[in-house]
Amino acid sequence: MAITTTVIGAYPKIGDELPLQALRRALHERDRGGIDDAALDAEFDTGTERAVREMDEAGVDVLNHGCIRWDDLFSSFVRAWRNVSREALERWFDNNTYFRVPVVSGALEVRAPATVREYEVARRTTKRRVKGALCGPFTFARLSEDRHYRDRSALALAVATALRAEVDALGAAGCDLVDIEEPALARWPEDLRSGAVRRVYDVLAQGSRVGIALQLSMFPADAAIEHVAQLPVAQIGVDVRSRPTRVLERISLERQTLVLGVVDARNTKLESPDEIARLVETAARRVDISRLWLAPTTSLEYLPHDIARAKLRVLAEGARTALAAGGAR
Amino acid sequence: MTEALLTTTVGSFPKPDYLQRARNQRARGKLSVSELRDLERRATEEWIRAQEEIGLDILVDGEQYRGDMVEYFAEHLEGFRIGGLVRSYGNRYYHKPIIAGKVRRPKPLTIDWFRYAQSLTDKPVKGMLTGPYTMLDWSYNEAYPTRRDACLALAEVVAQEARDLEQAGARYIQIDEPAIHARPEELDIAIEAMHIVTDGLKAKTISHICYGDFAAIYPKVLELPVDQLDLAMANYGYRYLALFDRDPFTRELAIGIVDVHRHETESVGEAAEGIRKGLRYVTPERLLPHPDCGLKTRTVDEAKEKCRVVVDATRVVRAELGAKARR
Repeated sequence: MAITTTVIGAYPKIGDELPLQALRRALHERDRGGIDDAALDAEFDTGTERAVREMDEAGVDVLNHGCIRWDDLFSSFVRAWRNVSREALERWFDNNTYFRVPVVSGALEVRAPATVREYEVARRTTKRRVKGALCGPFTFARLSEDRHYRDRSALALAVATALRAEVDALGAAGCDLVDIEEPALARWPEDLRSGAVRRVYDVLAQGSRVGIALQLSMFPADAAIEHVAQLPVAQIGVDVRSRPTRVLERISLERQTLVLGVVDARNTKLESPDEIARLVETAARRVDISRLWLAPTTSLEYLPHDIARAKLRVLAEGARTALAAGGAR
Repeated sequence: MTEALLTTTVGSFPKPDYLQRARNQRARGKLSVSELRDLERRATEEWIRAQEEIGLDILVDGEQYRGDMVEYFAEHLEGFRIGGLVRSYGNRYYHKPIIAGKVRRPKPLTIDWFRYAQSLTDKPVKGMLTGPYTMLDWSYNEAYPTRRDACLALAEVVAQEARDLEQAGARYIQIDEPAIHARPEELDIAIEAMHIVTDGLKAKTISHICYGDFAAIYPKVLELPVDQLDLAMANYGYRYLALFDRDPFTRELAIGIVDVHRHETESVGEAAEGIRKGLRYVTPERLLPHPDCGLKTRTVDEAKEKCRVVVDATRVVRAELGAKARR
């Protein structure tokens, strides 16, 4: 038996060394009209392959495609849907990273799959299991400007409907697990008290063979955790590392896998394997160790490339140390 | 009598191509420090001349010698290590610093540049500093046990720099805190730190705030001990002005009337309307039109165009106010 390790969200698109900056140069070139979209697409694929290879080499068990094509959590979906556009620049929660606010001007319609290409690139680059990555409907609804539905729950439901088409497209491509990143549900846990949450996640999960992993990243999930256990999701991810939290005292999961964010993706300081093992030990008192996965607390893209790689190595080593220590000891 | 609607900018201007090339050459060791400094001084003078020609009232040195507003200070303060590249948005990256030890200022960081820029013009030039809370929030803290500890340590070094700027003749000292709304629950820490920086200063103090949930920190942010708050507004369609209906704005307001993250510039008419919106909340003597944020992400031509629109829009509104006063 081993403790499964995984990643969440975006991986650094470039590194400091010149050869690792090809994508940055290609984007500049495209802006200047020096290359066409096909050439840029090829560069995105190359960047995705590099990210996947690095995750693979670090020993991560379940990978994603690194979201190399994404400007922000919403950009790929906004570009693939009708009646929504990317507008004003806004700060991404409490991070010095920015996103374009989606402005919804009509009923959301799916034009084309948003992430299948990058999923397929990742699949052919590694023999390891690859999962999909999607934005959360509530996070989209909270952070967008809604000029059409005029109701946050209605917008979240419409986003979930569009995302379900993406889940199905990923399923057809061979994907059996997708992350839904919902930092907004950790930031505004009151949204979990509305009846809409169950409806939204039913839309995403009901009748699908693709498991849903709800990732409550960026903020402590203390106030959210009691409300998510009943959702039809296969996994729940919580940050137990980057800020003080008592979420592990409150968690009670009958069937879901708990994805523990044990390496801080927003601080360069490297965790020791023993620190990770201690977090696993605490979690294993509440959730059977067979249902524990380990992950960074959020997207590794908030770190420089070299540190992100080091964090993945620490993650894999921490999982081995925790297992050797016996989890619940 | 104080002049009405003094125009200004937030701080940074784009680097001309020759300076960008020189910085790249310097990074590869193919240019000496003194050769780079000469080009930085040339670019600084060009921006001072450009601001005068456009007709701005309160000038900036344009930060031609800085890469990033936190990185520059981190490079020159003890206790920092410069980390690798991290993306801020789109295809833009910065070297995010790491607070790796006790922070100390071995020598002044911006004073010579302020003196040089001010020597080039009779108009006032602002002294430009990054605030302690933003320096903390935009760095990785590996050294201090708490964020408050790190922030207050940074405040001490920013305070030393602010006092030196004042001694060097700065009439305006801007201490930027664009990260102040990152964690609204930490606003008290940012205010405590700003007291360390501004208490006892006689110069006019300013703090620039942009791109975040301003509503989450208003009206508490009025406790920030500065004379003037400098706010991005055009990017938000001026929606944050509505907050001032409930809780009156009590500081001078430097108001962003052109968006800096788009290539296109608003029309003079649109920008003038932004000024009129601001005038509903503060008097003309306490309202300073400017672009939403630093202009370094734009081309040189775009940056000049955006400044021109600010000045032209201000002239339109000044004329209206003059006509009203004569009636």
